[in-house]
Amino acid sequence: MQFRLEKRLEPSRLMLYATPIAAVLLTMVIGAVIFSLIGYDGIGAVREIFFTPLTNAFKWQDLGVKAAPLIIIGVGLSIAYRANVWNIGAEGQYVMGGLAATWVALSTYGMSGWWILPLMMLAGVIGGAAYAAIPALLKTRLGVNEILTSLMLTYASVQLVYYLVRAPWKDPMGMGFPQTRIFSEAARLPTIIPGTIVHMGVPIAVAVALIAWFVMSRSVFGYQMKVVGAAPHAARYGGFSENKTIWLAMLVSGGLAGMAGMLEVAGPFQRMVPGFPTNYGFTAIIVAFLGRLNPLGVIFAGIVMAITFVGGEVAQTSIGLSSSATGVFQAMMLFFLLAGDILVRYRIKRVAPAAEARA
Amino acid sequence: MTPELIIAIIVTVVGASTPILIAATGELVVEKAGVLNLGVEGMMLVGAIAAFITLFLTGNHYLAIALAAAAGVATSLIFGFLTLSLSANQTATGLALTIFGTGFSALAGQGYSARPVTLLGPLFPAEIATHPVWRVLFGYSALVYFSLAMVIAVWWFLKKTRAGLILRAVGENDLSAHSIGYSVVGVRYAAVAFGGAMAGIAGACFPLLLTPQWAERMTAGRGWIAVALVVFASWKPFRLLAGAYLFGLVMTMELYAKAGGGPLSVIPSELWAALPYLVTIAVLVLISIRRDASSNAPACLGRPFLPSN
Repeated sequence: MQFRLEKRLEPSRLMLYATPIAAVLLTMVIGAVIFSLIGYDGIGAVREIFFTPLTNAFKWQDLGVKAAPLIIIGVGLSIAYRANVWNIGAEGQYVMGGLAATWVALSTYGMSGWWILPLMMLAGVIGGAAYAAIPALLKTRLGVNEILTSLMLTYASVQLVYYLVRAPWKDPMGMGFPQTRIFSEAARLPTIIPGTIVHMGVPIAVAVALIAWFVMSRSVFGYQMKVVGAAPHAARYGGFSENKTIWLAMLVSGGLAGMAGMLEVAGPFQRMVPGFPTNYGFTAIIVAFLGRLNPLGVIFAGIVMAITFVGGEVAQTSIGLSSSATGVFQAMMLFFLLAGDILVRYRIKRVAPAAEARA
Repeated sequence: MTPELIIAIIVTVVGASTPILIAATGELVVEKAGVLNLGVEGMMLVGAIAAFITLFLTGNHYLAIALAAAAGVATSLIFGFLTLSLSANQTATGLALTIFGTGFSALAGQGYSARPVTLLGPLFPAEIATHPVWRVLFGYSALVYFSLAMVIAVWWFLKKTRAGLILRAVGENDLSAHSIGYSVVGVRYAAVAFGGAMAGIAGACFPLLLTPQWAERMTAGRGWIAVALVVFASWKPFRLLAGAYLFGLVMTMELYAKAGGGPLSVIPSELWAALPYLVTIAVLVLISIRRDASSNAPACLGRPFLPSN
């Protein structure tokens, strides 16, 4: 029996939303098989990584805290990718946002006042957006590929963290550890549910996604992003500037990554450390795709990805699985999703054996 | 600077450049066929861990290189299947391949991180390379000569052979190549597999040529620099040499600065470590000002191909 692909007249809506779910389910099944084949406890790995974080109520707060930066960065990236602007340096913009917020926190050290956190937030957003402005400038002025520049800047930003915490920003009382001092009370995000680690970043993430969804589906800005991405010629004809779109996409995605950086450094970290670059910016790429480049989808994708992170930590202690297994599961999920894309645009037709013989 | 120091620097530069050169040569062929595989970094990491484990278990350097190439091919075929058979988005699939390679190599390399192996020795017997000048020519391992041979071979293949012409045709105009009866997907699969083999060998250079051990993410973005290098070289094999050795020089300066090399250590070591990436950006900017770079790109680069039926 032969199969043939036939192009659909319209992309299938059903497949568009069914394939991410299928990708997650397939990852669990195939993941369990592959991990068993290479000598791990495959079923145990899938159980710990995908289910324990959901069944164990103590882990729910971790889920929220891990999902928040992924959702915020993922929303920004989904807007950029919609416009066909390939910002893959969100990790660097996240780092620069964190550094800018740290700078404010250290400059206001010992002060108190309600204005410190908003100022840090502003600095974080500006830091991330400014770092994303470099690839935007090079792309619009000189046509330099934004994938490569934004990625190279990520590697550079990590070195900047190492330098700052080793020399100028080092905690004088830190016994030689390369890290800044712990921020003052006023520069730390308060927890919003007493007795947990859930901070302001969690509701902010949901708000960011809802606002982005509203803007993308209801405003000229959202329309412009989508048209430029889907039909650049039509967009030019319609008077939408491609350069302006690149700038907007870069600044929005960079600014949101910077915001996530601020929330992380003021929330879970409370100081700048060499381990601040935690790959949220890269994982958010998977989140954006798994969420179908739709801000509401990104919320769910962010939670799924947070489950694998928390579950990965669980599996590390409970069955001794390396934390890098999480990355393998996440990549598999993206592979299955990309493979499933073909079902959105094509339908599979069975070709009758007779027709096959004639061909 | 003494002559000995200059020679030592040249030898270090050539060593540091070799993995980038090998990976970029592979990626150049892939892109010439019209495919943009951004998973070089991931394939290199899979190659690096395959080479390391083989070397650790057997002690055979050449077997390690062969298995690294095979591992690179296997990884590249994931990309090939998704983008060529299922026409998935190449940018996204390449990124996914890098994320996969990073995770998979870390998983496979669990427990190998503190185990020492031996570097691959020079190809020619030491008697030939006694004089310092001869060391510059004959003092390297086989991987270095392999990288140079492949640059020439790829140039010859693309410019002088019929198969190379077909490959370029597939990259420049896939529909025409298809209509005169060439298998676009077949040619692209072959190119992607070649790129995978080269990336795998490039990854093998890390434990075999540079640091005789395994460390997670030990390729440290060199795969991405290789992708940038192809743009820098305007898809011309011999220009890869200039670019690769420029990066080798920057990385060698970093090594000397870290070792407390006089005037170089005035600049913080972190800036030296960031320099290869900043130089990459600077080079991309310079090349785009010259303007011939983008016009030389294969016309079908990154575009999925499915014959209309």
